[in-house]
Amino acid sequence: MRISRRQLGALASAAMLARATGLRAASPDVLVPGWDLPANLDPHQVLDVPAENCAFNLYDNLYRYEDNPPKLTPWLAESLTASPDGVEWQCTLRRGAKFHDGSEITADDVVYSFQRVLAIGKAPAAPFLPVLKSANISALDPQTVRFRLEKPYGPFQSAVPMVMIVNSRLLKAHEQNGDWAAGWLASNEAGSGSYKLVPQTYVPLEKVDMERFEDHFLGWQHNPHPIRRLEIRPTQVTSTRVLGLLNGSLDMTDTYLPVDQVDTIAQSGNAHVARNPTMRIFLIRMNNKKPPFDNVNFRKCFAHAFNYAGFIQEILKGNAQRDPTPLPNTLWGFPKDVAGYEYDLGKAKEYLAKAAAEGAPVKRAFEIHILQQLEQTTQAAQVFQSDLASLGLNVKIIGDTFPNLTTSAAKVETTPDMWIHWVSTYFVDPENWVGQMYDSQFHGTWKASSWYENPKVDELLRKARGLVEQNDRAPLYEEATRLIVADSPDIWIYNTIELCGIANRVQGYRFTPVGSGCEARWMSLAS
Amino acid sequence: MLRFVLRRVLYALPSLFGLLMVTFLLVRIVPADPAAVLAGDNATPQQIAAIRHQYGFDRPLTEQLALYLNQVMRFDFGESQYSHRAVGFDLRQRLPATLELTLAALVIATVLGIPLGVVAGVFHNRWPDFVVRVLSITGIAIASFWIAIMLQLLFAMQLGWLPLRGEMSSGIDPPPVVTHSLILDSLFAGRWDVFGDALRHLVLPAVTLSLGGLATITRFTRAGVLETLQKDFVLYERAVGYPKRRLIWVYVLRNSVIAAVTQIGLLFGSFIAGAVVVESIFDWPGIGNYTVQAILTADYKVMLAATLLIGLVYTLVNILTDLVHAWLDPRLWEQP
Repeated sequence: MRISRRQLGALASAAMLARATGLRAASPDVLVPGWDLPANLDPHQVLDVPAENCAFNLYDNLYRYEDNPPKLTPWLAESLTASPDGVEWQCTLRRGAKFHDGSEITADDVVYSFQRVLAIGKAPAAPFLPVLKSANISALDPQTVRFRLEKPYGPFQSAVPMVMIVNSRLLKAHEQNGDWAAGWLASNEAGSGSYKLVPQTYVPLEKVDMERFEDHFLGWQHNPHPIRRLEIRPTQVTSTRVLGLLNGSLDMTDTYLPVDQVDTIAQSGNAHVARNPTMRIFLIRMNNKKPPFDNVNFRKCFAHAFNYAGFIQEILKGNAQRDPTPLPNTLWGFPKDVAGYEYDLGKAKEYLAKAAAEGAPVKRAFEIHILQQLEQTTQAAQVFQSDLASLGLNVKIIGDTFPNLTTSAAKVETTPDMWIHWVSTYFVDPENWVGQMYDSQFHGTWKASSWYENPKVDELLRKARGLVEQNDRAPLYEEATRLIVADSPDIWIYNTIELCGIANRVQGYRFTPVGSGCEARWMSLAS
Repeated sequence: MLRFVLRRVLYALPSLFGLLMVTFLLVRIVPADPAAVLAGDNATPQQIAAIRHQYGFDRPLTEQLALYLNQVMRFDFGESQYSHRAVGFDLRQRLPATLELTLAALVIATVLGIPLGVVAGVFHNRWPDFVVRVLSITGIAIASFWIAIMLQLLFAMQLGWLPLRGEMSSGIDPPPVVTHSLILDSLFAGRWDVFGDALRHLVLPAVTLSLGGLATITRFTRAGVLETLQKDFVLYERAVGYPKRRLIWVYVLRNSVIAAVTQIGLLFGSFIAGAVVVESIFDWPGIGNYTVQAILTADYKVMLAATLLIGLVYTLVNILTDLVHAWLDPRLWEQP
């Protein structure tokens, strides 16, 4: 449930008055974050921000993204090397890493984990399914794994951190009817991460507790006062989340803190707000196959009619970075010379006239679908609606949900005229954004829901996907992005600054765009 | 009496079956594709199609309905597509918390609402009546999410008397699970620390939820008292000098609360519906949050089972209300 900014403002003011007397004693070595929980605990079934909150603490992966901008850091792996043609990849594991049951992590576990991801076939499998067959993953010895791809695939190494390594012996013991222990792992864990699940505390979407794993392969020397127990307690309502932070019953909010809460928390004296530029772009999609959006001048009219600076400065209070392209502006492959579209109703009018002269049906009513639970999509739609009305364009705002919209995006006819959403970081590679959003082979997925098609762009993206070296791939993504921006298939608004309310007693919060800084192993609690 | 109860139970069965059918059809009208949600954010159309087939979403609707009815007859509500747990287990885990909350709210509304209604009726058009009327209109008019936040600000933030959210404080070991009701389980285990902590956590959500019902019960009781006070037997009892307090709190009350008792039964349904909001604000681990999440993620089996369960509880409470009604007015035992 969401409440309006005005209501939040009112209660935040009241909370400010109240903060001095309402503090409760916090446990000295227990961190209570108000993060959301995933639908279930299996890291091979669920891939979203809440899933990362659990998986990054319960599991380890071969490589992990750390810091901001994210650096691909060897984790369970010592190295991952590609053959010159980019088809064969060989991974060497570090020695001595152990699962929570004390057994050693071997190449067999890595093989099983990747095969399980492919067999279950849910979101973490997406980058691998077109290029990797289960039979082509093999353990050469207890420390070495070989992946033989169907064709060269540059984003392979970037996508490897999406696969958490699970304890194959433990899971095989819980398999039922060839389900890869999917039923069991949904409420349990089989990892080696810095924290162990306390299974009896787990209630899906409600709560889960974890205890520190003292034998973690990285050790704990870096952290003299590690957190002993993690009690994740999702809070449904923003007001409760903020009040909980202010009275000490929660240590952290999620990273979707509304901007009008920033000052309240910053002035509270008990907590602060961490502001971290990330890689989550916010955009308005246009259905390029549906007239008049199939007309490039009409799309450019819309691109010039959005008040980018007004939205970012006035509504978001500057808590976002203008990003004129579909690529996060902090990522390699981003073309720095692209200015994008600016808010200019004069130009918008010119493009509208051109589109009308070309026979585009500009007088019809348009629909823009918003994600009802996410107030910012409503705000953006209202800003846009107002400016388009001044051009004589009639836009109707339709409340919707993400599941409905992803379903609608499967066909041109059912995809809305426009809809608003974010594209988050699933793996740090241009493929995650321009690759999957604008290559026409992905039509039918929500990421490619603008139904954009440009053979030259397809060619560039496919060529980039087939190369291994970043230096070879970057110019191709830059060129593809320039072409895409020139065609204006969507309206790209900003790259997110994540806002997370954190109690002052929490030390060592280490943000990275993948996982949003949820790794408790770096944190400690001040007395 | 047995015939009366059996009749009420038989009347309820077609209602529950109708509820099941309507819900089954309604959840399929929603355009969301559960396979797309289940496949995850980054999935390809091929992955989605494979999952649609795996879960049987591509089978004819009648086949899906027959399969589901067969399961329900065996009290098997299937597995949540997301939590991969038996829906029956998930609901059993959460329903006690919702029942704790709604029953506590009902007790507060009844225990306060009936006396307030009597006082308002007895002091008709005098200041106690005005005060009660203003309070009852206010109780109905105020949105529960607003009053919840105000109560949080006053009692959790300003005074620090009561917890802000949740069912239990952090850092406390819970008692062994027997009923999934924290209050009952702590009593069974003799864990008075947990019992006290759980009761303190229950106060704010229960008071929030009770306010609308409290106002309704007060108004119906007041109206009943005003009507009963005009009856001949009251005039006669007064004339013969029967003690006023006993006359009001025994005879007038008994004849006045029938309409209020009917309302209590109906209120239980609205309390369960209202619990969705209250549970969200107070992070109360009941079926409200669970059902809302199921709707947002198109988890059909959970939506169906939760709706059926709420319908069943509502039906049982209404049967209970009919029994209380008949106990207050024995002529009803004989009615068809």
